[in-house]
Order: sequence, then C-alpha cells, then structure tokens
Amino acid sequence: MSAASTAKVKPSERPKWVETILTQFRINIQTYTLILATIAIWAYFYNETDGLFLDPRNFSNLFRQMTTTAFLSVGMVLVIVTGNIDLSVGKLAGFVSVVVAYFQSNYLTDYFGDNELLVASLSVLIGLAVGLGYGIIQGYIIAYLGVTAFIVTLGSMWLLNGAILLVTEGKTIPANQPMFSKISQGYMSSEVGWILGGLTIVVLFFTMFRGRQKKRQYNFDLPSLGTDLAKVIGLSVLVLVYIYRVNEYRGFQNPVLLLIIVALIVTYMSNNTRFGRYAYAIGGNREAAKLSGININRNIFLIFVLMGLLCGVSGVTLASRVGYGTISAGDGYELDAIAACILGGTSTLGGVGTVFGTMIGALIMASLTNGLQITNVEPAYVYVLKGIVLVVAVFVDVYLTRKR
Amino acid sequence: MNTDTTDYILEFENVTKRFPGVVALQDVSFKVRRGEIHGLCGENGAGKSTLMKILSGVYPSNSYEGTVWYEGKELRLEGGSIRQATNQGIATVYQELTLIPTMTVGENIHLGKEPVEVYGINWDRLYADTRELLTQYNLDIQPQDILQNLGVGKQQMTEIAKALSENAQVLILDEPTSALSEAEIDKLMDILDNLRDHGVTCFYITHKLEEFFRIADTITVLRDGQVITSQPTESLSVERLVSYMVGREMTERFPSSKHVPGEVIFEVEDLYAREPTGSREVLHGVTLDVRRGEILGIAGLMGSGRTELVMTIFGEYGKITSGSVRLHGKELHLKNSRQAMLAGISLIPEDRKRHGLVLMQSVLKNISLPNLDQFAGFMRIDSDAELAASLEFANSLSIKAPNLNVPVDSLSGGNQQKVVISKWLMSKPEVLILDDPTRGVDVGAKYEIYKLMNDLAEQGMAIIMISSELEEVLGMSDRVMVMCEGRSTETLDIKEATEERIMALATNVATENGVTETV
Repeated sequence: MSAASTAKVKPSERPKWVETILTQFRINIQTYTLILATIAIWAYFYNETDGLFLDPRNFSNLFRQMTTTAFLSVGMVLVIVTGNIDLSVGKLAGFVSVVVAYFQSNYLTDYFGDNELLVASLSVLIGLAVGLGYGIIQGYIIAYLGVTAFIVTLGSMWLLNGAILLVTEGKTIPANQPMFSKISQGYMSSEVGWILGGLTIVVLFFTMFRGRQKKRQYNFDLPSLGTDLAKVIGLSVLVLVYIYRVNEYRGFQNPVLLLIIVALIVTYMSNNTRFGRYAYAIGGNREAAKLSGININRNIFLIFVLMGLLCGVSGVTLASRVGYGTISAGDGYELDAIAACILGGTSTLGGVGTVFGTMIGALIMASLTNGLQITNVEPAYVYVLKGIVLVVAVFVDVYLTRKR
Repeated sequence: MNTDTTDYILEFENVTKRFPGVVALQDVSFKVRRGEIHGLCGENGAGKSTLMKILSGVYPSNSYEGTVWYEGKELRLEGGSIRQATNQGIATVYQELTLIPTMTVGENIHLGKEPVEVYGINWDRLYADTRELLTQYNLDIQPQDILQNLGVGKQQMTEIAKALSENAQVLILDEPTSALSEAEIDKLMDILDNLRDHGVTCFYITHKLEEFFRIADTITVLRDGQVITSQPTESLSVERLVSYMVGREMTERFPSSKHVPGEVIFEVEDLYAREPTGSREVLHGVTLDVRRGEILGIAGLMGSGRTELVMTIFGEYGKITSGSVRLHGKELHLKNSRQAMLAGISLIPEDRKRHGLVLMQSVLKNISLPNLDQFAGFMRIDSDAELAASLEFANSLSIKAPNLNVPVDSLSGGNQQKVVISKWLMSKPEVLILDDPTRGVDVGAKYEIYKLMNDLAEQGMAIIMISSELEEVLGMSDRVMVMCEGRSTETLDIKEATEERIMALATNVATENGVTETV
C-alpha cells in the first residue's frame, strides 16, 4: 500500500478557506491548542458554577490573581530558555513581600506617615531593591562561580524560607497603606480602559502591516492578507470584550496593566536586543554561542539579575494585593511559574520559548486555581488536578509534535 | 569473497519513495551479492540515506512502492524502530556513534541483551563472549576498556562489533571514515576485508571517492533518486564516478586560482599550550606564518593537534605556556573568540552542528549572531540593517534556502556550511581559519566553497585551511604546513608537496629521501 493511497481526503476536495484554517492550525499548533485549552477550561467552570466563574467580579479577580505568578513566569521563560532553572522565585517574591510589609509598618508609616506618595514609592523601591540585590548575588554565584542554577536556587529556597521566618517572627505584618494597596487593588476609570483598548488595536494593525511589508521586502513566507486580518481582528475583538467585561466590574485592573507593560518590555528585549538574542542562542547551542564571541557568563548573570528584579515586582504586587506579609508568602509560586512556561511551549532543553505563550500558560494555571476554589473543591484536589493538567498538556504537545 | 555471482542477498525492485512534494527515490532497482562491499555513491540529497532508511526500517515497508527482496523473501518492516531490521540481520553503523561513553566495550556491545542469571548479570560470561567476538573478527579492543577513553576509531570498532554480535548479515556503514585518521581508516579497511571473508555484506557510503576504489566490489551511483549505474569497481574511474554523480563532466575538482601572496601578516612562533582543564600539553612547538592573499594548508592526522592549534589561536582552547601569536607583527593575547574576532581573526569550526550553528534558529539569526554589534545599540537591534547585511552574504555565497527565516537545520550540509562561512565573513576578518571546511559536503557545494576561498584570497585575505583530505590540501593550498603529534614538522611549498611527502611528515616516518627527522 502506498503512502498516497492511505490519504482519505485529497486536499483539493476541501474548500479553500477550510484548507487555509487547517494550514494555519498546523503551523501554529501549539498556540492554538493553548487557546483551545483555555476556552475548554473556562467553559467547564462556567458550566460548573452556573456562570459565576465568568461573572464580572470573578473575571476581574481571576486576572488580578494571575499577575503575581505571571511576573515570575515572564522572567522564568528566559531562565529556562538559556537552559537554566530558578527554584527560588516563589520564596524570593515572598521574602520581598514580607520585607516591604516590615518596613512599611515599622518605619515608613512612622516617619513619613503624612506623605502617602513617599511611603508607597519607598515601599516599592525597597521591594525592587531586595529582589534585584538577591538576583545579583544569585546570578554571580551561578554565572561566575559556576555552581549549577538548580543547586544554587534550591539552596536559596531554604535560605529565603528561613529569612521570611526571621523577618516576620512568625507573625503577620500588615502592608495596607492606601496608596500602596492601589498597585494591586486599584482600577482605572472606564474611559481610560477604552482608550487603552483603542490604542492596543491601532498598534496591532500597525504592527501587522509593517510586518507584512518587511516580509514582502525580504521574501519571507507571507501569510495571506485574509489570514493576518482574521488574526488581528480576532485579537481586537478579544481586547474589546475584555475591556467591556472589566468595566462592568470596577474597570481595568492596575496590576494587569503593569503585567502587560512588563511582558511587552521583556518580549521586546528577547527579540530586539543582543541580550535576548544571546539568551536564545546560548540555550540553542551553548558551544556555538561561545565560539560566536558571546560572553555566556555575563548573559546568564544578567538573566538572573532580571529574574531577581521581577521577583521584586512580583513580591511588591503580592504584598499590595493581600495587604500583609506572612510566613507562607510565595509558597509554591515557583512551581506555578515553571508550569506556566512549560504549558506555554518553553522547551526544558533550552532555546525555545516565548513570553506570549507563557502568559497564556499562566492564565491557564490561574484559571484552574481560581475555578477550583470557587467550585468549593477541596484544596487537595486543586493540587491533584494541576499536576494532571500539566502532564496531560505536555503529553498532548509531544504527541502532536511527533505526529507532525 | 564469495565468487558465486548469482547469489544475491538483496535486490531492490522498482523502489519508489515519495515525500510530500518530492520523489526521493524513483524506480530504484539493483542487486547486491552476498558478501560483497557495495559502495553507494551520490551527492547529498541523491537518495542514499533514504534508501538505507528503507533497508533499516526507519521507513516502514508500506510507505514506499516496489519491493526489497532479502534472502529471497520480501522484506517487511513495520517501521518506527530499527529493532526489526536488526533482528533480521540488517544493522546500521551510524555516522554519529550511538554508544554510551561511560560504559565498557563489553557493556555497550551487550546493552539490552545482557546475560542474566537469577542473581543478576553474569559479568564473566558477558566479558568472555565479548572477547570471543572481538577475537573472531580480529578487532583490536579490550572488552573492559571504558569507551570514552578510546579513540574514535576504536569506538567505531565497538559499534561494528555490536552489530556483529547480533548476527548481522548486512551492515550499513554511513560515512564511517569521516572522523578517522589515515591509520584508523587503514585499520577499518582491514576489518571490512575480514568481514567480507566471513560472508558479511556491507553497504558503504562515503564522500571520499578514493575509498570506493580501495574497498568496494561494486558501486551503485544515485542521482536525484534514480540509479544512474551499478557496476563493478574495476570498470570505473574517479572521473567517471564524478561525472555519473553530478551528471556532467567535472573537468576539475579544484578551481584554478591566481593567488598573489603579499607580505606576512599572521605568525605563530614556537607555540606551546596545555589543554584547558588538566595539565597535559597538547601543542609542543608550532610555528607557521601566513601571507596576505594566500592559502596555507594544514595537514596532519586526526589527533595531531590541528584543531587544538586553531582553537588555541582563537582563544577558545588551551592555555598558552610559551611562544607567540602575532598579527601585523603585534603580539596577540586572545582570551576568547570575541577578542579574536575584534582582532580580525575568524574561525570556521570543524563540527558545524556542534560548534558552528544554532540549528533550531533561522539562517538570519545564525549569520548575524556574532555580528550583532554591527547593528545593535544598547537597547535595540536595527533589524533592517541586520536583514540587509545577512541577505547580501546569503546572496553572494548563493545559499540555497527559500528565505532567511527558515531554520538552518532544514538546509543541506553544503548550505549549512555556507551559513557558517557567512557568519564569519560578516565580521570582515583579515585572517580566516577554516577547519575541515568541506567535511560532509557534496561535490557540487565543495567546488563552490573552494571557489569562494580562492576569491577571498584574491581579495587579500590570509587563509588557513585544515583538511583531512590530502587531495584537497594539495589542490587548494599555496603552501602546506604538516603537523605531527602536536608539533609543526615542516612547511612545504606546493611545488614540492606530494601525498607521499606529506604522509611521511605527518606520520613521522623517515622516508628514503630522509625528509623527516624525529624531534
């Protein structure tokens, strides 16, 4: 039996537009599976909770909750792309949150209590500085002293856990200065939301046309205009639906805007700076990268510094969102962050992964946690299901890639 | 050798293999006699590998048209695993070795079929069986040697022994000599002769045409998926073979050149160096100089320190203990490839997949990788400039790729090599070092690379070329420096260089002329 005769339907028998969609699907199979998975999970919880899952309040909270670990995932994707891992991010974010709470309640409010802006900004600066500082130390040990990232960050996990206990002395420290709380609990007015949405759509169209122009100029594979338009229009609709929905509650959430900005910056860095390009080259083929004159140690050092800084951001938003620093702060966040990267198509072998995919991965993880919480499933099953989803998702990906 | 000419162990009958959009093999028909060494010859993409993958069961029997007759019966393989083919006596010795470096020879040979008793593995029997096998085929390795302590040649022997231990009747050898030294190749040829005496049939694939005439009984030439000819080696010559392969008369394998060497710009004097980790000395006294606009060939056996030398010069291998490297008379102290690049030295590494390319990334990203400084500010890469510059090199080197955005691992070996060369030409080097630039590259692409080297020399670049193929060294160089055991023995002008002379210097044996002296 020949290969040709086994094909049941010849391509030409399908309408052209079906072919186009199928081809698109095959090319970007990973992205589309992710989006389909998100839709499936949402549909399931929507049904289970009689619509509560997607009602304006929960919808808004879901995205707000997602941000804390999503900041970690943004950095983690680059760490994994270079072929490393960081197990300390959850505890570092937790440590940052308790340090911020400690300073805020013990010193800042006492000294500058009448100046809200100063207290809030100093809280943020302290948080970022702690994350950055720790990232510098950790990065130095990994990149220049040559201790494997796995081991250094595993050690850090314990170290930071102890540090959290020392700072909190086992107690819960409040961090609820009103302006500081706005970072994770604030919303923008609906007008601002619509303006942001409109701007996003303009940028989407502009980027598409500019990209097409460039692809044509350099004879790259150019998808049909219809395909590109469909994608951009689809994304625009999503943006508008999102804005509409969050406006139905209290408006566009501050931390989500912050996450989008950070994700865009890191995406830009990964594509358009030497730092980002080198990270992918190092993960793709370390030896070739070295022979290409890349300073591998410096690059990996910088990756961990960036990771530390993002832990700072995550810790600050955590303290702001929950309003206190506590001994369990950041527990297990590192696993959520890593899982989001893997779900988003980041290869554990290095060299492959995008911030965009990771953000969808983070959304899936957050949807699971949130959905299971509001359906009143026992916490034990939250863990069981998360584990299963991760392995199944990666299996589906492996299966589809192999089949292709 | 079995002289019964009618005893065919294998017969391909109208084998056609299609891939989406391509016919990889078309009506391939030829016969293979039992116990012969059957050379399979053709350019990259001619269909050799596809054919061997059909035979070894990588492609299942229902994925192609036509029939493969094996021992008089139709060969049926389900694909997905080469296990079935191995069980039926068809084994493949891979180009990239598939052994476990930390295990012994015996363990590797018996991997997956260890003799097991109730108490566990019977090590005595395992090693006794291994010894017997090695003796039977006259293989010069010890059962308890740890694989990673052996040279490439002996590792390959282990691989062959592993195949033989499974009663292989047909052995597929794909580029078996690509990593071997001349001495190791001789040894391999002896082993193959021995296998022929034992009635084992071998398929032999190589880019080095001379080897066919040394060892093959029959040669089948494939071109564009079709059998061009299948005839006894005696009735063929290298020239005929090449013309069958490329489909036209190749009047010359090396393009003519008019190099006008200028002044010496790059010198290495009495260089001693240690390996990067550990204290073993790998270079003990290397001296060479290159003039502007000339090609200096470096010849020497595998393990003579050729690659170590150029990597040390490039700042990426050993620690220099004494001696000097000078560019324009100024001494260089290069600590890494970046400094070498900035100084004006480029190196095309030996193993392009391991050291030259990020395979999963696009042609564009590979070419621009070491040169991003040219386009990048602190926070931005000027992607238009990057594209324009990369496109210029891709065009001038005529890299055959649909566009610059395709991943580099989808290109053929020759085009991949051109990507590596582009990437290193973009930094506008004064001294270009090429370490075995045509390894695993087909005849057509080789010629283009030679032409490029000549063009660059004419433009005034100083070129150092390492080559494992003596013909290439003699065909391309203006002068030839010969290395032996980490030393430079002598630099010959091309007029006085002959294969015999170079081999004598490289192996450090005194010839009748008394050319070499032992240091």
